[in-house]
This record gives sequence, C-alpha cells and structure tokens, in this order.
Amino acid sequence: MTDGTIHATHVRKIYETRTDRIEAVAGVSFTAKKGEFIAILGPSGCGKSTLLMMCAGLETITEGSILLDGRPVTGPRPTTGIMFQDSTLLPWKTVLDNVLFPAKIQGRDMAKARRHAQELIELVGLKGFEGKRPHELSGGMRQRTAICRALVTDPDILLMDEPFSALDAITRDEMNEALLAIWETQVKTALFVTHSIREAVFLADRVLVMTRRPARIVEDLAIPFARPRPPGIQESVEFNRICGHLRGLIEPPRPGRAAPAPVPEMAAE
Amino acid sequence: MTTRTATAAAEDRDAALRVLLPAGVGILVLCAWQAATAITGVPEVLLPSPAAILSRLVAAAPDLLRHALVTGGDVVLAFGIAAASGIAIALLISASALLREALYPNLVLFQVIPKIALAPLFVIWMGIGSPSRVTFAVFVSLFPVAIACIEGLARADRQILQLCRAICATPVQTFLAVRVPFTLPYLFSGLKVASTMAVIGIVVGEFVTARAGIGFFILHASSKADTAGIFAALFALCLVGFALYAVVVAAEAAARRWWRG
Repeated sequence: MTDGTIHATHVRKIYETRTDRIEAVAGVSFTAKKGEFIAILGPSGCGKSTLLMMCAGLETITEGSILLDGRPVTGPRPTTGIMFQDSTLLPWKTVLDNVLFPAKIQGRDMAKARRHAQELIELVGLKGFEGKRPHELSGGMRQRTAICRALVTDPDILLMDEPFSALDAITRDEMNEALLAIWETQVKTALFVTHSIREAVFLADRVLVMTRRPARIVEDLAIPFARPRPPGIQESVEFNRICGHLRGLIEPPRPGRAAPAPVPEMAAE
Repeated sequence: MTTRTATAAAEDRDAALRVLLPAGVGILVLCAWQAATAITGVPEVLLPSPAAILSRLVAAAPDLLRHALVTGGDVVLAFGIAAASGIAIALLISASALLREALYPNLVLFQVIPKIALAPLFVIWMGIGSPSRVTFAVFVSLFPVAIACIEGLARADRQILQLCRAICATPVQTFLAVRVPFTLPYLFSGLKVASTMAVIGIVVGEFVTARAGIGFFILHASSKADTAGIFAALFALCLVGFALYAVVVAAEAAARRWWRG
C-alpha cells in the first residue's frame, strides 16, 4: 500500500553551462501528506517547474533529496502521473488510445485500464469523443484527455506543470472545476505548478510561494476552504483577501510605488 | 439528413472533378498535338502524331513488354536496396550526436554531386552487367530516402518524448510508438522521390551499357530514326515508374492505417 507522500529536503538545482553556473532552485524543503493538493506559485521562470521536473525524475537533483512514498527519486516512476503545459497527445491516436497509452507502455491489465479510462473520460465530460483525434478537439478537451491519461494508471502522486496556462480564461476556469471534480473523487497527492494566484487558491489545500530565481519558498499557506469547493467561493471576501496577500508576496513593493492594496481587483491574470 | 447527403454529393462531385479535370487537360493536349501534326505536316521522324505512336506501341507491345520486365526488375531491386540502406543510414546517423555531426554534412555534400555524370565510373568498377546498373540506381536514389528519414527522426515532438520518459517507456517502446509514426510522412516523401530516381538511374545505366531494357530499346530506336518507337518506349517507361510510385503510395496508406490503430 503506497502512501503517496512527498518529502523534499534542501533541494538545490544548479545548471552548469560552459561559461555560467545558474542556480535555479536554492535549498527548497517541503512535505506533502497523502492526498494533499499543493500548489506551487511563483513568477514565470522562477524555477518552480524545475522543482516539479525533479520530483518527476526528469531532471537530476544537484543537492538534497526528494522522497516519493518514502523512496528517493532517481528517475521517472511508473506510479507518478504527470501533466505538462502542452497536452502532448499523440496526434494519430484517438482520445481513448491516448488515455490508454501509459497503461499500454507499462504493460498493465488492459481490460481494467479500458474500464478505468471510460470512467475518467465520463468524469471529465469527454463521453462521446472517445474516437476523436486531437486535431478534432479544442485546447480544453485536449487537456481533459491529458488529465485522463495522467490518471489512467491510478497513480498515487499527480504532478502538473502549469497544465492550463495555455488556455483562455473561460476554458481555464472550466478546467479548474473539472480538475477539482475528478481529484475529489480519486484522491491523489497532487503538486500543481502555476503562476496564477486565483488558480492556486481555488485548487489547493496549501500554496507554496516561490521567489524569483534562485527559487526559495517564502510562504507555506494553508487554504481554509472546505471541499467540495463550489466555483462561487472565488467571489468571497476571504478568497480575495488570500489572493491579495499572495500577490503582495510575489510582487514586493518597489521603491516609488505604493504598497499593494489589501484587497486587489479581481483580474489576477 | 438532407445536409449530410448534400455534403456527400458535394464530396463526390469534388472527387470526380479531381480525376476529370487533369484527364481532360491531358486529352485536350493529345488532340491539339494530333491536329498540329496533321495541319503542319511535320515529318513523322521529327514529331510523330499520337495516333502513329499508338499504332507503333501496339505493334511493339510484346517486344516492349520484354524490355520493360528487364528494366522493371532492375528498378524494383535498386529501389528496394536504396530504401533499406537509406533507412539503415538514417537510423545509424540518428543514433548518436557524434555520428550525426561526422556523417550528415558529408551526406548532404554527396547529395549535391550530379550523380548522373558518374554512370560511366560504375562501368569501370562493375562492368556492363545488371549489377553495375542497379548499383548506380541505388547510388542515385539512396540519398532522398536517407535525408528524409533523418529529417523525420529528428522531428519527433520533444515534449512527447519527455512524456515517454515520464511514463517509464523503454527506448525501444518510445522509438516504435512515437519516433516511427512521426517519421513516416517524411520517409514516404523520400521514398516517392527515390522511386522516380531509381527509374532514372536504371535507364541512364541502360543508355551506357545495356543489351536489353527500355533504355536499350530507346537507344536502338534512335539509331534507326524510329521516333514513334522512342515515344512508345517512353510510354512503357512511364508505366514502370507509375507502377512503382503507386506501390509506394499504397504502402504509405497501409502504414498510416496501421499506426492509426
């Protein structure tokens, strides 16, 4: 039985080029409990994606360690689900075959995977589109397919690298609701990298705020909203107070500019 | 339902047009040709009429068939070897960055050589038999396959390759499930070019050395000022080339169906 915890201890990432040493991540530590949804929030290019890629085993860890389910990460792990900014669907395969792709690669029980895939496809609202190919789908539908693919092997940990950042604002809101709906039925430990404050607050149990490069965690904030979360909470005063607080951390007041208002305007992105 | 049948009818009409339009133009050109030869009274040895070519084609059909089989056999053999070795070279070059850096510029440089001019060289190396012609045709048609295949292998979506690593796909699985399907369109465009190059290679070889084959037939007809015979042979040659091209197109359709699952 896996517990799906994540323990990152003093994780550093240094890229060495011929002329330069770039510190992307500087000594980051955090812990995710089983079934916890953690958003990693930070400005673009701050190294938060690098941190996620190290958790996925796709980037080497320069210093420190990451334990997934108690075992140190040395490379990719079959029971981690992953989503990228791009849906990365195979263009010649149907929705169903794309969803089944990891199960097929990992030689899993295909009859079981097929049943699970159908369930997931129904949950994200893609029923009736199983036989379509990616070019026949909208951007949102492609990312829905990618969610199903990330979950088809029933992973204990789900890693998401700005999965909705390429979508328009309305589709993005829909995707956030779809993700919550599916995550609330199949609880996984989730790491969600984003530069959208509202997205982070709406989705996560905890928000880790990272600074610009080299990335450090400057805040570990628990989000107090109960689940399931209706979309309406985004209009509440409490939601906007938290967003304002986080924005202040990401954009520290520059000299000659007024400090950020305690309750900033709605458009976070 | 009505819109659907309307769309289907429109599609049928488009499909029919795609065949009828080029065929119509072809027939029109032949008619103009026939009329021009009749009106101007140009000597048949300079420009025979389509009707004269047709009657020559019918008369020479058994002879041409024999020669076409010789040429066709060599073309298929050369194309097969070129396709296999072109793919092998592409795999080798794509396997390592070092090999790519060492070999790819040379391959491109070779592509630039006017290889047709080298046909006599192959006679010196390999004599005047069929192996010399086949080797020459392989030499001519190999590069389009290799270069298209290298290009295709490099085109696999990098993010999809990263996904493959993330889901613990083995290199062989990644190759078969992702790299090969991304390469197929490139590979087949290279094979189509190679199929026509193989015909050119064999016929040029036959011009230089052969005692049989359509190239030989053309040379022989030319020496007898049998212009209609040359055109008839050209028609037979087109059929050989077209048959091979059609096989490549059919193979591409089959490969696409297979990978689409």
